[in-house]
Amino acid sequence: MNDPIFLAALALCAPVAAALFLLVAAPVRHRGAPAAGVCVTASLVALAAAVRLIFVHAAQGDARWTTTWISAAGKPIAEVGLHLDGASVSMLAVVCLVALCVQVFSVAYMHDEPPRGYGRYFSFHALFLFSMNLFVLAPNLLQAFAGWELVGLTSYLLIGFYFAKPSAAKAAVKAFWMTKLADMGFLFGLLWLFVATGSFEWTTKLAPEVAVGVTLLFFLAVVGKSAQFPLHIWLPDAMEGPTPVSALLHAATMVAAGVFLVVRADPLFAQAEATREVMLWIGSFTAVFAACLALVQRDIKKVLAYSTCSQLGYMVAALGAGSAFAGYFHLGTHAFFKALLFLAAGSVIHAVHSNDLADMGGLRKKMPLTTLTFVIGALSLAGIPGFAGFFSKDLVLATLEGRANWVPWTMLMGAAFLTAFYMGRVVCMAFFGALSHKAEHAHEAPLWMSGPLLVLAVPSVGAGFLGGWLAHLLGAHYETHIGLTPIVASTMAIAGLLASLAIYGRRRDASVAGAIERLDKASLVDRAWELGYRRALLGVSGVLGWFDRYVIDGLMNFTGYTTIEAGAAVRGAQTGRMRHYVVAVVLGAVLLALMGVL
Amino acid sequence: MTLVQCLLLASALFSVGVYGLITRRQAVAMLLSIELMVNAANLALVAFAKYAGAPTQPLVLFTLAITVAEVAVGLALVMLLYRRYDDTLLDAASETKG
Repeated sequence: MNDPIFLAALALCAPVAAALFLLVAAPVRHRGAPAAGVCVTASLVALAAAVRLIFVHAAQGDARWTTTWISAAGKPIAEVGLHLDGASVSMLAVVCLVALCVQVFSVAYMHDEPPRGYGRYFSFHALFLFSMNLFVLAPNLLQAFAGWELVGLTSYLLIGFYFAKPSAAKAAVKAFWMTKLADMGFLFGLLWLFVATGSFEWTTKLAPEVAVGVTLLFFLAVVGKSAQFPLHIWLPDAMEGPTPVSALLHAATMVAAGVFLVVRADPLFAQAEATREVMLWIGSFTAVFAACLALVQRDIKKVLAYSTCSQLGYMVAALGAGSAFAGYFHLGTHAFFKALLFLAAGSVIHAVHSNDLADMGGLRKKMPLTTLTFVIGALSLAGIPGFAGFFSKDLVLATLEGRANWVPWTMLMGAAFLTAFYMGRVVCMAFFGALSHKAEHAHEAPLWMSGPLLVLAVPSVGAGFLGGWLAHLLGAHYETHIGLTPIVASTMAIAGLLASLAIYGRRRDASVAGAIERLDKASLVDRAWELGYRRALLGVSGVLGWFDRYVIDGLMNFTGYTTIEAGAAVRGAQTGRMRHYVVAVVLGAVLLALMGVL
Repeated sequence: MTLVQCLLLASALFSVGVYGLITRRQAVAMLLSIELMVNAANLALVAFAKYAGAPTQPLVLFTLAITVAEVAVGLALVMLLYRRYDDTLLDAASETKG
C-alpha cells in the first residue's frame, strides 16, 4: 500500500468502476438506495487512497507513470497516465473529501426522489469524481482536456437533473453552450501547441508569440469553466440543479478546474506576460462585478453562485499576478467553505422548501446546527481573521500589493468589503429576524446532512493554517505577516459585516435595502449574449446548414443518383440467356481477331 | 491434304459448332456443339504437328482428357437443369437477367 501509483490508480478506478457498474447494472440503479451505497463506497475508497497518498508522497516525493497513446508513424503522439506532485496530490484529497461529504449529504437530501432518479443521480456523481480525478492527475494537457470535457458533461447532466422542468433543461443547455464555446479555446490551444512543439507537456518551452497565443486560448477555456466575466452567465442558471450538485460542481471543484489548469500549466503561462496581464484585469473585474450582483439576489443559491464567480475572480487575479500558489491556496480554502455554505443552504432549502430569502428568516432557533455551520462558512468567505478564507484571500491581496498598478489591489479590496456585506445580508435575512411563515415548520436536518456540514466546517476554519505545508508541496514560499494588506483586508471584512448588520439587522432599513435591490442589472449581460448568439451564431449556422444540405449533400446525392441511373440504362444487356452471352463472346473474339489482323 | 486445307476444315467445323451453340436451345445439343468446337481445335493442333512440325500432339491428349471431364460436368448440369425446371431448354434458366 506504499506504491503511490497504485494509490492514485485506486482513487481513479474506484469511481469509474462504480460509474460503469451503475451504468450496466440497471436493476441496481433503478432501486436507488443500493446505487447510493455503491457510489459512496467508491468515494470512500478514493478518499482513503488520496489521504494515504499524501503521506506516501511526503515520504517518497513526486512520481509519474505513463503509457503511450495514439501511436502514429511509429512514434506516440501522446501519453496518458498519472502525474503525482504536490499540486495533484493535495487537489486529489480536496476533491475526494468534498465529493464524499456532498454525496453523503445527498443521501438524505435527495431522499424524496423516485428510486430511478436517485440511482441516476449517484451514477452521475461517480462519473464526475472519476472525471475530476482524471483531470487532476493528468500528466499532460491532452489527458487534462479529456477530463475537462468529461466534467463539463457531468455538469450538464447534473444541472439538467430535473430535466422535466423546462428551466432546468434550459439552464443545462446554456451551461453546455457557454462552456463549450470557451472549450474551443482549449482545443485550438492544444492544436497550436502541438503544431508548434509536437508535445502536450505542461512544461514546454515556447516562442514568445506562440506562448501568448496558446495561453490566451487556454485562458478562454478558463474564463468559461471558471465563470469569469463575460462568460459567467451560465453559473447562476446552473443553480437549477440539485443543491448538493451546486456545492460540489459549481462551487468547490469543477469550476475550480480552470484555476487548477492554470496552476498546472504555470510554466506555459510564465512565458506569456501579456496573458497574465489580461488574467489579472479580468479576474479583478469579475471579483467586483459578481460581488455587486450577489448583493441584489433574492435566491440564496444565486447569492452563493455570484459569490463563487467573485471568489474565482480572486484566484484568476492571483494567477495573473504570477503567483500560482496564491491562486491555488484560495482554491483549496474556497472549496471547503463554499461547499459548506452550499450544503448548509441546501439544508435550509430542504427545511423550508424554497430558495427565496424572503421565505426564510428566524431559522436560528429552528436549525441551530445549520445556522452555526453557515455562519462559520460565511465568516470564512468574508475573510474574518482566523478563518481559512482570511489567510488565502490575504495571500492573494498581498501578491497584488507590490505591483506598480494599484487598481487591481483596490478593486479586490472593494470586493472583500462587498463579500462581507452580502454574506452578512444572507445570514441576517435567513437565520435572524422574525420567523417567517414558511419557516414555522422547519426542523434541524437529519444526521446524514448535518454530519457533512460539521466535517466541512473543520477545514473551513482551520485550512488556513495549512498554508505553509501547501507552499512546501508546491515549492513556493509562504509566511504570515502583519502589513498593509492584512490590516486593510480585515478592516474591509469587518466593516462590510457591520454595514450589513446595520442595514439588515434588527431594525431592517427598508430604504437602503430597496435601493440596493434596484441595482439588479445581471440580466443585461444575459441579454447581450442572447443577442449575440441569436443573431450572429444562428445566422452563421444557417448559412453553413444551407451549404451542407445543398452543396455537400447535393454532391453526394448526385453521385448516388447518377450511379443508379447509369445502372438502369445498361441493365437490359444482361438478358440471362446463355445464347446471348455466347454471341457476345464470339463477337468479342472476332473483334480481337480483327484487331490482331489490322 | 495441305495445312491450309486442314485449317479450313477445322475453321468450318468450329463455325458449325458456334452456330449450333447460338441457335440450339436444347442443353444437350449445345454440349454437342461445344464438342465440335473442341474437336476443330484438336484437328488444327494435329495438322500443325503433321505439316509444320510443331510439338502440339501432346496437347491434343490433354484436350481430350479435359473434354471428357467437361462433358461429365456438363451432363451433370443438364441433369440438375432438368430436375429444377422440368426442361432441358437452357433459356428456362435466366435468373441472372438484369
